[in-house]
Amino acid sequence: MSTRTRRRGERGPLASIGLHAGLLLAVAVSLFPVVWLVLTSLKPRDGWLSTELQFFNDSSLDNYARVLTETAFPQWLLNSVLTAGLTMVLGVFLAATTGYAVSRFRFPGHRSVMWLLLITQMFPVAILIVPLYNLMAGLGLLNQIPGLVIAYMTIAVPFCAWMMKSYFDTVPIEIDQAGMVDGLTPFGTFWRVVLPLSRPGIAVTAFYCFMTAWGEVGYATVFMSQEDKRTLGVGLQQFIGQHWSDWGLMTASAVLIAIPAGVVFLLVQRHLITGLTAGATKA
Amino acid sequence: MRRLLPSAAAVAALVLTVSACGGGGGETAAPPAQVSDPSKVSGEVTWWDTTRPDSEGPTFQALIKEFQAKYPQVKVNYVNVPSDQAQNQFQTAAQAGAGAPDVIRSEVAWTSQFASLGYLQPLDGTRAVDRPDDFLPGPLSSTEYNGKTYAVPQVTDTLALIYNKRLLKEAGHEEPPKTIAELKRTALDVKAKTGAAGLALNVDSYFLLPFMYGEGGDLLDVANKKIVVNSPANVKAMETVADLISSGAAPKPATTESYANAMTALKEGKAAMIYNGPWALSEIYQGKEFQDKKNLGIAPVPAGSVKAAAPTGGWNLAIYAGSKNIPAAYEFVRFMTTAEAQAKIAKEISLLPTRTSAYSDPDVQGNPDVAVFKPIMDTAVPRPWIPEGGQLFQPLLEGYQSLVGGKSGPADMLKTVDEQYRGIMKDWS
Amino acid sequence: MTVSTGKVTAAGESARGRERPGPLRRSFGTHWYAWAMVTPVLVVMLVLIGWPLARGVHLSLTDATEANIGRTIGVNVIPASYEFVGLENYARILTSGVFWDKLVWTVVWTAACVALHYGIGLGLAVMLNRRLRFRSVYRVLLILPWAVPAFVAAFIWRYLYNSDYGVINGFLKMAGLGGVGWLDDPTTAKIAVIVVNVWIGVPFMMVALLGGLQSIPAELYEAAEVDGASAWQRFTAITLPGLRQVSSTVVLLGTIWTFNMFPIIFLVTRGGPGSETEILVTYAFREAFTGIRNYSGSAAWGVIILAMLVVLAVGYRRTLRSQGDPW
Repeated sequence: MSTRTRRRGERGPLASIGLHAGLLLAVAVSLFPVVWLVLTSLKPRDGWLSTELQFFNDSSLDNYARVLTETAFPQWLLNSVLTAGLTMVLGVFLAATTGYAVSRFRFPGHRSVMWLLLITQMFPVAILIVPLYNLMAGLGLLNQIPGLVIAYMTIAVPFCAWMMKSYFDTVPIEIDQAGMVDGLTPFGTFWRVVLPLSRPGIAVTAFYCFMTAWGEVGYATVFMSQEDKRTLGVGLQQFIGQHWSDWGLMTASAVLIAIPAGVVFLLVQRHLITGLTAGATKA
Repeated sequence: MRRLLPSAAAVAALVLTVSACGGGGGETAAPPAQVSDPSKVSGEVTWWDTTRPDSEGPTFQALIKEFQAKYPQVKVNYVNVPSDQAQNQFQTAAQAGAGAPDVIRSEVAWTSQFASLGYLQPLDGTRAVDRPDDFLPGPLSSTEYNGKTYAVPQVTDTLALIYNKRLLKEAGHEEPPKTIAELKRTALDVKAKTGAAGLALNVDSYFLLPFMYGEGGDLLDVANKKIVVNSPANVKAMETVADLISSGAAPKPATTESYANAMTALKEGKAAMIYNGPWALSEIYQGKEFQDKKNLGIAPVPAGSVKAAAPTGGWNLAIYAGSKNIPAAYEFVRFMTTAEAQAKIAKEISLLPTRTSAYSDPDVQGNPDVAVFKPIMDTAVPRPWIPEGGQLFQPLLEGYQSLVGGKSGPADMLKTVDEQYRGIMKDWS
Repeated sequence: MTVSTGKVTAAGESARGRERPGPLRRSFGTHWYAWAMVTPVLVVMLVLIGWPLARGVHLSLTDATEANIGRTIGVNVIPASYEFVGLENYARILTSGVFWDKLVWTVVWTAACVALHYGIGLGLAVMLNRRLRFRSVYRVLLILPWAVPAFVAAFIWRYLYNSDYGVINGFLKMAGLGGVGWLDDPTTAKIAVIVVNVWIGVPFMMVALLGGLQSIPAELYEAAEVDGASAWQRFTAITLPGLRQVSSTVVLLGTIWTFNMFPIIFLVTRGGPGSETEILVTYAFREAFTGIRNYSGSAAWGVIILAMLVVLAVGYRRTLRSQGDPW
């Protein structure tokens, strides 16, 4: 690396202060509701609505103990992990193959594919939940984690395919050609050569798929009516009713839910960075 | 999919006027004798319960255990579905024929709707209904549609005036207000002498009904198929509500989180009075003002110029017509609605029985919350049990919100509601 | 199997070697591989979206409701008695004043949300793409809202906005100002829901754009610096064009999603006060799903919304292509 590149990273002290101030402000806004969530989860079960503004009020981990022992939280967690994990694996795979095909092959209709995917996002499914439910019932997929995963594919894959296509577009075609010259099939090129070079794109896609399935409530509520098949989002709704609410349980489980999401992000982030260094050394 | 029914969804009331003839009903509906020994019935019954899973659920789960001890060959799958989702989810599952429960705890206003759509099993003359004469007529009327019975009343309730005795006393009132005029005076006295708010209003259609009934108004005249929401009586009722707010008797209520805010104000002693039902008591007792339960007063809703009256609410048990375990479901519904089961529910979680005979149970009489609500039931008015009943609340809620927000006056508001009702009830006049 | 025509298409990489004849081209040209890679997705999409959509279009031309659609459940038989009514449902919706009111607010809502998502997301992504201390800490903290399920976030915000007990009003009162009924007034309620949606949506936009930024080769910046380009010039000449692919995708998808964003409005304000904050999709849902469901009406709403978005997407694509973007 030349000295110039290093100079690019340098800033005047004022610029640095401005940069950190901007980011700190953004962090404050993004964190405040989350911090409030955590604080509320430490309050007694009825501490959330109080006429006085209190940051702390008999802090304890009681709510967490209640969530873990008195509710079906562990079961919901397991279902959610399975659902989100499957969605992530399948979503990344489908999005990558589709994105790659559209990015590299000029097959008839390669552009319509992407637009078709886009159109599937335009129909307000909230309104057509009934035919969808009937379809799932007809396919025997109600109360089945794979059924829910397939439903999540319709939400996650279109966007992810677009993302992956954009990413593959930035991978030089010469790399594919080199793979072909080495005697790999198009699948082999994709799998062994292009995919490993596309970690940043895959990382974002994986995270997106995971989060889509992790926080989704609408489909899960309707498709998973059996108690032992509920995901976290569905289960959590039991804590908030129309005329009562248990904010202690609600907030404690919300915090617990955010933790695996954070872990996935941290894992993905490492890959993001390795993907980057790979890109840099490649250049 | 929250809250497709307004807060009405959790409510109920009952009319005790008929209790006199109830006890002697006996076995009028003799069960058909297909099953020689009911305890030999086998099958699997999935039940969607809509109660609070933490405080109310355990009582029902205990009842299920008793049921299974008595019917060893029936397996009950207990599923708790939040009350504000159950209606929608049941409709979706029932029309598909897959995923629907065998038994659903149906709010009184849903029952006729489900029945009209063909989702419910007719129960006349089956083992599900035991001694129908014993049921209070108000809740029982909610189980009927087109002359057939489609559900069995499980619990009932109504609205009452719930107040903080200490605050009223400090304001110089030993007795709760009996009329709206007294309510206003009491509330203003509380505000002047204690600094707390007088009345906390909950901006919700269901909680508007006592004011309408009090002036002799109603939403619909079912017998004559007439929409009567835009009547002089209702205009007067809306003027009363607007006056309570503008005079300061009730602080301007929030329209979002209205219920929670009103309840918190009462619990923390920031408001002296509130309209609410028996389901709210356990939450109120958690408030710091009511650590001493005796500080809580419960009285009939104050009377308008015509009468004192509040709406009937409650929950029924209904059987899905597509259930593959109908005989077992009959037994389950029958078991869950016996006087003994209702007495247990009343004793443990203060939900009001629908059977006349249950009220003579010492356990029920020994529960002060149930005892105090019993006379209040006399004022309860059954709502129009029609399939469209659930759709009537949203226009009224929007009207109430715009009234509170000062966007429209009482007459305009009711005119708008009336127009929307005409869109829903097309062949009504 | 046919061989690829190899003609110049609008998709970018075609210029990058697709034209070169040779063995590569022949193997690339067999569509079999491509279709095998695309088919699974298409099948899932066509079944899960296509069928309900086809059914919806059919129902929208009838007067079907939950009461007359016909079914047999156990002992209950309800005959199908719905009829074909042509475009009546569409005419009724399009001639109602409510539709146009909701459309205006939906457009305002979408434009405001997407603009803020993109603007803030891009700003943060650019900052995070700089070399700075605690970068990964910032990144994790800024992405945190994404990890909170939307419906939990909606409840938190409702609580923050609470007029009597909310934290925001709590701070205002502490500062000696009066509280605001955030969700009780149409204007503040609209601002409130936009804020919630922006809070939830920015992390996604930021991550997507960060991914885009990181795929821009560092050499371009180095070369620009050698040429003496200012920071702003580098931003407009390298960053923005480099993000073009990603941006055009996320903006279009963001628009579509925001237009149909159901849970935020449904959970934060329930459409209130009155029905002021209701967008087309929540309004349609409530119209059709309260009480006895109106299948034909809801389907007609769905098709209208779909049609509007298709028109929007086609227009967007045209614009991009006229600007030389390879779409």
